[in-house]
Amino acid sequence: MTLFRAAFGAALLVTCIDQTALATTQNVIFNGTITATCTLVVVTNGTMTVSPDLQSLSSHNSGGSAGTVTLTTTGGVSLSVDPVTTTSAPAADVTATTWTPTYSASGAHTVAETGSASSLTAPGASLVSVNLAGTKGGSNRFAAGSYQATVTVRCE
Amino acid sequence: MTHARTLATALAVGLMPIAAVAQSMSPMRGEVNSFTDAFAVRVFPANPYDQKIRVEIHVYDQDFQPVEARISPSVFQLASQASRPVLVVVPFAGAAERKVRICTESIPFPNQQTQIKAQICGKFFGHRKS
Repeated sequence: MTLFRAAFGAALLVTCIDQTALATTQNVIFNGTITATCTLVVVTNGTMTVSPDLQSLSSHNSGGSAGTVTLTTTGGVSLSVDPVTTTSAPAADVTATTWTPTYSASGAHTVAETGSASSLTAPGASLVSVNLAGTKGGSNRFAAGSYQATVTVRCE
Repeated sequence: MTHARTLATALAVGLMPIAAVAQSMSPMRGEVNSFTDAFAVRVFPANPYDQKIRVEIHVYDQDFQPVEARISPSVFQLASQASRPVLVVVPFAGAAERKVRICTESIPFPNQQTQIKAQICGKFFGHRKS
């Protein structure tokens, strides 16, 4: 009888062990999709100064500074600047000015100074420097007073 | 027309992404099928700055000419790090399909000598189904 009990207990134990061995693991799958995105953050506006001959008002001139924008993207976007359309000039300035916006980028994207659109294929963050130059031709000169211009930086 | 608008709005829900902070606008790409004379897109402009900014939403065609579209709201103040939905309804204007750019524009630091306007544009393609 004792032997029977021992054998029965052992068989029961083996059965239980088998039951435990049947437990399995399951994977939980996570999916995520990121569509093309782009963030522009204007850090500083630029400053233009006039050249000694008064024919250039530019952020490239001595004492001037470029505007800076941080760009963060997944890639698959393009960066560009628009022709300048919004300007204001002192009343004394009655002659035409040609405005030329340009930009360059460093960081995840390296773009030499250009006024054309650039395709940004790689993901990452970059610092974009935005410059603006106003020029006058012939005998025209910039007048004393306050000038203001708006450069549109586009990511699309 | 009211039904058409309602349906167009409903179709926009299909494009609705999960709004995310620290993006200037999402989504930036989209394709919409519509059974009405307009298609709708819901975009989420976001303000990544530490200050309130004024945001404008504009719709342009492929040549950056303005497109007559209903944008609600088209101009608004957005709090720091905030995002909000904007519904854009674009008419097909007789065409079977239409490509538009929906752009979020802001000048975060106005009234300075050289201002920078940041413009984030998404490209959207509407197909009219009969």
